[in-house]
Amino acid sequence: MDILPILASLRRHKVTALLLILQIALTCAIVCNAVFLISQRLHRMQLPSGMAEHELVQIRLGSVGDGSDAKSQTQADVAALQRIPGVQQVAVVNQLPFTEGDASNGDLKLKPGQQTSTLTVAQYFGQNVVSTMGLHLLAGRNFQPEEYVDLDTALASLNNGSAQGFPQTVIITKGLAERLWPGEEALGKTFYLGGDIPFRVIGVVADLARPNQFYNGIENSILWPMRLTFAEGGSYLIRCAPGARRAVLKAGLAKLKELDPGRVVLEKRTYDDARSAFFAHDSAMSDMLLSVIIALLLVTGLGIVGLASFWVGQRRRQIGVRRALGATRGDILRYFQIENFLIVGFGIVLGMAMAYGLSLLLMQHYALPRLPFGYLPLGALALWLLGQCAVLAPALRAAAVPPVVATRTV
Amino acid sequence: MTMFTYYLELAWRRCRQNVPIVLLVVLTMAIGIASCMTATTIFAALSGEPLPGISDHLYVVTMDSRTQGDANDAAYDTPQSLLNLRDAKALVDAHHADSQFAQAQSLAQVSTTDGKHSDRVIGLLGYGSLLSTLGVPFRYGRPWTEAEQTAHAPVVVIDATLAEKLFGTSDAVGRSVTMGTGTFRIIGVTAPWKPRMQFLGLTQNAGNLLGQDMQFYAPVGAALDHGVGPLNTGKCAKSAPVVNFQSTHVTHCRWIEVWVSLDAPARASAYRVFLTHYAQAQHQAGRFVQEPKPRLFGTQAWMDRLKAIPGDVGLNVVLAGGFLLLCMINVAGLLAARFLRRQGHVAIRRALGASRRHVFMQHLVEAGALGMAGGVLALPLTWLGLWVVRMQPVAYAAAAQFSPGVFAILALLSLLVGLAVGILPAWRVCRQPPALQIKLA
Repeated sequence: MDILPILASLRRHKVTALLLILQIALTCAIVCNAVFLISQRLHRMQLPSGMAEHELVQIRLGSVGDGSDAKSQTQADVAALQRIPGVQQVAVVNQLPFTEGDASNGDLKLKPGQQTSTLTVAQYFGQNVVSTMGLHLLAGRNFQPEEYVDLDTALASLNNGSAQGFPQTVIITKGLAERLWPGEEALGKTFYLGGDIPFRVIGVVADLARPNQFYNGIENSILWPMRLTFAEGGSYLIRCAPGARRAVLKAGLAKLKELDPGRVVLEKRTYDDARSAFFAHDSAMSDMLLSVIIALLLVTGLGIVGLASFWVGQRRRQIGVRRALGATRGDILRYFQIENFLIVGFGIVLGMAMAYGLSLLLMQHYALPRLPFGYLPLGALALWLLGQCAVLAPALRAAAVPPVVATRTV
Repeated sequence: MTMFTYYLELAWRRCRQNVPIVLLVVLTMAIGIASCMTATTIFAALSGEPLPGISDHLYVVTMDSRTQGDANDAAYDTPQSLLNLRDAKALVDAHHADSQFAQAQSLAQVSTTDGKHSDRVIGLLGYGSLLSTLGVPFRYGRPWTEAEQTAHAPVVVIDATLAEKLFGTSDAVGRSVTMGTGTFRIIGVTAPWKPRMQFLGLTQNAGNLLGQDMQFYAPVGAALDHGVGPLNTGKCAKSAPVVNFQSTHVTHCRWIEVWVSLDAPARASAYRVFLTHYAQAQHQAGRFVQEPKPRLFGTQAWMDRLKAIPGDVGLNVVLAGGFLLLCMINVAGLLAARFLRRQGHVAIRRALGASRRHVFMQHLVEAGALGMAGGVLALPLTWLGLWVVRMQPVAYAAAAQFSPGVFAILALLSLLVGLAVGILPAWRVCRQPPALQIKLA
């Protein structure tokens, strides 16, 4: 089929054809960027925490008193929680991956006395953390009971200018190990935190994501053998079978209330809930972007249907003449399909430039990465498909125009 | 005017001839307008001054006031507004700004002295002219005086909601409440008050976008004496940032913000000089171990810096704007096709004496009317859109409220959209030479 006659006829509908091209270009630009934004959000939402996420329950209490008996209280709490049927492990931990709020972070140095820190790490500590979280130990060992120190003694010794009361050992993530000592064995190596306190690596776990501040490196986390109490901000982290979580949470809260009714429950949730709360914005945003994409494609598709219907109506006589002169129904059908293919093609070419421009704009204002080129052919394909689907019904109607129309005046 | 109604009548008659396309046009415009209105309503609710007329004069003080090498604190790469109470008091007491105060949020159990009525409420611990600088409106009584503040007198200001809950009347001045371990005398009752957006204590209220009602205001000295501490102890020297809920052991912690009100930019630069002097003096005296890098941020700059308004809100406006543009192009295309299809009618009108201007106006009226119809349909759609956003688990959900202002803007927008999409097709149709068209017809 010859393209030139189609182009010639399009020139007679300059305004409408241009508007349609512009519309397709705009759809292409927005859809490409929106799909990319969704993929970004989905990627964020699927980041691994490294924990046995579906088996964990978190309870955090606030103390109203001065916390002088918090240590014994914490011990009693843990013992009571452990006795609840279905509970496998109980930990006290200072923070959890993917949670909002103040996180404990430290500046890590590879040599003592180093002027600027090598990187920032998230510092996890608490009792029985590695096994309760279900972290996957790749090398080395877990902490031994004698390695644990109390948070308050460690801080007190720091205040007296000594690092002696601080733990000496540390477990790090594989990602951090690879960043600090690429290609080398991390076990047994030493790094320094804060006022040049040395820590020896005794274990490497597969993953443990930071609570937040992902720009500092999501995998840069360390674990200390350090005990803390609920009054020092520790959360009770309870591991149980996924199906038992609700019951365990309820029983745990009742138990803690029974032990001391004066405490305030600051947090009570399954880890899955904590995680989805953290990513709630991302999930809401991807839903919103998805609905924008659907609305755009729908509007554009309907627009194509509408315009094509007008053109078919307008050209009934020409179609009749062509049919009378020997054009088959297939010829007429193909005419409209190729016409649509060309218009969408022009729109896509313009749309790619616009997609790129929009991407630059978003990069500037919303700190987003640049749109990868792979999205452009995908967007083009989607629009061509949309165009062909939308034009099919009007084109079939055009093909159904009988040759006898040519003999009528209107 | 008669021409106008005639054009409307013409438009009405034409529309009845091709109902599906007219519906498509109206619906497309309605969806475009509604999505744009939804996004801009939220954006408008979250932009502008948190306290109109007041917060634009307010500045927050930031400096690296760490007193001893803090094992757990990252390098001072972002300005920190949380200060030690000692520094906060010194800055407020210096009276170098037009007015100044220190504040931190607190959560307290406030009860009547007989313990019969009680409520757990959010409030502010303050130092300096907190209430008058923020412009909190008083119903009864007065803020605390400097003498009461220095003497750590147990006085408190509560809001009318709390007063009614505790005492059954909002005029509670002179009565007493129990907070922490102490009995506080009520010296003032304010009207319910909250800023439009959270801007005080932003670093400790991440994700809490919209302001919430402050229900009590207590001078910080008396509050700490009686076991009423800040919601968050912030960062404490030489320790992990231990968050000890409601702790009053905050001597070595940085947890309170200093805000100053400065009327003129010149005053701000003068205050910066004062601030630098103060911080450097502390640094030289050995209290601040690091270079303090003191800075002063205006409210808006501070909120921008901490990304108080999520980027998603702006992104939504960009997307919705793009969507509306697309809908408009779509409708313009449909209208152009629609108008051009009746060239015959136009030619007859031209031949009977209608000028190009008349033809142009006629089509523009039709487009405008369709735009208004789209606007009418957009009204429930906008309401629906805002409702959907309110159902979302996002921090700005509560900002998605329908208001009369929204209605007015929507009406204007739909008319403008209708006219804008009509201009090109109307111009196109009136350009046709009449003779040719008659022949075509």
